[in-house]
Amino acid sequence: MDLISLYPTWYEPTVGSGWVVAFIATFHVLASHTSVGAALLFAYLSHKAYREDREDLLDFIKKYGLFLLVFTYVAGSITGPGIWYSTTVASPNGIGALIHSFVWKWATEWVFFVIEVVGVYMIVYLVGKVDKRTHMKISVIFGVASLATMLIIVGILSFMMVPGKEAWFQQGGYLNGFYGENTFIQLAMRMAFMFTMTAVVGGIVVAGIKDPAFKKEMARKLGWLGIISTIIGAAMFQLYLKAVPDQALLVMENRLPSYFEPSIIAVLAGTLAYFILTMLRPQVLVQAFAGGMAVVILVAGLWPEETARESMRKPWVAGQYVYSNQVIGRDVPGMGIKSQIPLLEKEGILKAHPFTPKDLRTVNDGNVVQAGKFIAMVYCSNCHSPSKTGIRPLHRYIPDNITEARMEKYVKGVLTTGNIAYMPKMPMLDSEVKALSTFLVMNRKGGEKAVDAAIRQEIEARQQAKLAEKAKNKIAALTQENN
Amino acid sequence: MDASQVSQITDMMYALRNPAGLPSYPIIFIGLSVLTFALHILFVQLMLGTSVITLIGAFSQNTYWRRLGAAMLEVAKVSVSVAIVIGVAPLLFVQVVYDPHWYTSNVLSADWVIGFIIFLILGYWAMYYYYFVNNANQDKSATPKARWSMLLSLALMLLVGFIMHSLTSQILHPELWKSWYMQKNGMVDYTGDKLHEWNLWRYAFFISLSIPVAGGMLVTYRRFKSVRSDADHAYLNWAAEVGKKWIKVGSIISTVLYVGWMMTLPETAGNFATSFWGILGGVMVLFYALWAQIRLNGEAKFCSYMALPMALVIGLVVAISREMLRYDILNGFFHYNFWDYKIEFDWYSTGLFFLTFAIVGGIVLSYFLTIAWKAGQTVGVYTPSAFVNRLGTLSIWIVVLWVVQFFVVGFYVWAR
Repeated sequence: MDLISLYPTWYEPTVGSGWVVAFIATFHVLASHTSVGAALLFAYLSHKAYREDREDLLDFIKKYGLFLLVFTYVAGSITGPGIWYSTTVASPNGIGALIHSFVWKWATEWVFFVIEVVGVYMIVYLVGKVDKRTHMKISVIFGVASLATMLIIVGILSFMMVPGKEAWFQQGGYLNGFYGENTFIQLAMRMAFMFTMTAVVGGIVVAGIKDPAFKKEMARKLGWLGIISTIIGAAMFQLYLKAVPDQALLVMENRLPSYFEPSIIAVLAGTLAYFILTMLRPQVLVQAFAGGMAVVILVAGLWPEETARESMRKPWVAGQYVYSNQVIGRDVPGMGIKSQIPLLEKEGILKAHPFTPKDLRTVNDGNVVQAGKFIAMVYCSNCHSPSKTGIRPLHRYIPDNITEARMEKYVKGVLTTGNIAYMPKMPMLDSEVKALSTFLVMNRKGGEKAVDAAIRQEIEARQQAKLAEKAKNKIAALTQENN
Repeated sequence: MDASQVSQITDMMYALRNPAGLPSYPIIFIGLSVLTFALHILFVQLMLGTSVITLIGAFSQNTYWRRLGAAMLEVAKVSVSVAIVIGVAPLLFVQVVYDPHWYTSNVLSADWVIGFIIFLILGYWAMYYYYFVNNANQDKSATPKARWSMLLSLALMLLVGFIMHSLTSQILHPELWKSWYMQKNGMVDYTGDKLHEWNLWRYAFFISLSIPVAGGMLVTYRRFKSVRSDADHAYLNWAAEVGKKWIKVGSIISTVLYVGWMMTLPETAGNFATSFWGILGGVMVLFYALWAQIRLNGEAKFCSYMALPMALVIGLVVAISREMLRYDILNGFFHYNFWDYKIEFDWYSTGLFFLTFAIVGGIVLSYFLTIAWKAGQTVGVYTPSAFVNRLGTLSIWIVVLWVVQFFVVGFYVWAR
């Protein structure tokens, strides 16, 4: 049996599985970047507290640390594996590719996670219970361990866009996959924005400081941290765009909404203005304002940045060899990986998919809509929802007066050949092209309701045919018996 | 199920394997998976057990229970964090070797997988809410506020435990995966809105181990706190007595549930219930009661500290039994053998992990836990000895060195 590594499809009709991953990932990035930045800030402040024998700085660490413990460590430590969970259900082969290449790197990161979790409790709860020197040492270890987690994950994230070195495709090897130009530039960019987030979220804690002089001191420290890191981060983002594949830039130019660039510039300018304001007039820094800014950074800054990075990878989802629809679209001789495209061209998607229901393995007049929907779910739904809402809904890309013949021509001429730069090649047998086209047209014209009604009719007809066949066989058997 | 049906299922599982292969021998991942699962489930049980004690304290009028409830809330809080962070490891390793099974099980119940994340965050926050509402009150014998939040936290933790139990159970039924992908009316089910398989005996068994594990915690608590100059020995001795009782009674309850689990195994498990590992799992749980009866008499200065390590050893044996059951079903019946997973060996990343685990993890955590331990036993400010201070300095150098090697190796590879 010639099968390929395709799993069942999870379809979330309201927002789409892709957005579910994006929500969790964006939230995690906010939490984790803030935590790492804060850990390094704590190391600096704790060192200063030890050198200058200052209780107020330790008190600030305790308050900020407790805040982080509840809002970023709890949520961050859960949404971290949460990204695994969400990608597992939305893109199992994408996450599988990363896990199988970088399992030891993740396991190494896990060692630092354990240090981080023990460390954050110690930093918060041992203020005043251990001497300042010991607290400083714990803070430094905690800070460096947190940084190590970021170093590791950025290499894996870079691989998602493009393996570190081109040689990885021919030679394989973890080092070739992990380290490259993209890795280091992305690392510098993330570290810069990490401090921006630390400064913004830290503002919530500074807002609660009662002593005006201390509040001013901390607002200035965080302000400078925020201004410098935002400027460096913006410069690194420009550099980062030079370290992505040409394909990614093409997608960025063609697929990202027109408001993307101006909105990013507006967010950066707004962030800088915010830091300048809080440095000049620390009294405006109240918790609601600081909390509001954290949300603005999340919604207006981080969300477009993360979703742009996601879009730019298309048509790939991992390592430039796993398509966004989970099919392996390229040979990777260095890892002994074979493209699944030739098999799909020979057998079709329905026969090659391990979870195709028995009644749908071959397209016929009695299952054409249901088979078409199955193909759309496998090939399209990761990026295009067949529902009215959701991620880039399919119906928006199809003219309302389209005919089935025209649709078939498009599917065969464009989709099966891979003629759209940012979409995977989707091999299909002619019968599958017909099925998908029938579904797409019906979905465009009548929506999901019409499709489901048609499928119910097909199922009913198949059941009746089976019953008739059974009855016929029974009669034949009885006739034979009587003779 | 006839041979050809089994063969089709075997082919499907092999087809789903990730073609990138593994960077090390599969047995290493299985070994680490079992070890880290045992650690993870210990902290899960500790969190559940101490949460129950917190609730008993919250609803009791007894001053000792009130104090104990407040003290155990601290343990529950930390245990959730530790359980989550340690749980990352078995979650990682299971999808390396059993990726066809784990991914299929997850996708077929995707809504619940996403729900797991949300429920866990809410459950954790509910626990913290209870903590913040009551922490400021120095009188730990007062009636706590917002008891509903602690109840809610426990309920959500039990729910996420059930989701995880179900996802793990679904792994064991590859023969049903295709049918779970279909609705009864013949439509394909893309929703992922159902949990398809569970065994209440198995779930109850793992949850019930929270009782003896919490008992072990209470015995350890007495021993740990008794060296402080401000220790209330009457209260601590009372707590230890409760702990001993919980170990003994809890272990017996767990053993009964284990037997129930073994009696309700699917047919595909064959004779696992009466096999060596099938029997040993239950015997070890019962052994915990026996050990407590014999070794936890009087002050039991050494053995009191051994109560939790004993629970870990017993948990490890149960984890091995659990793994053997999975192997027996998937290999014994369905002929899916994790041993023949393709290997693309990578010495560097394999070596780096084990060195980081042993050297960085070993030294830094030794330093951290020494400080935490000593500070917990000291009234006032703890100042470490010269040796512990040197251990701290060494820890700093080691993590810094790790970061340096990251960049040195990275720049070398980049420039190559």
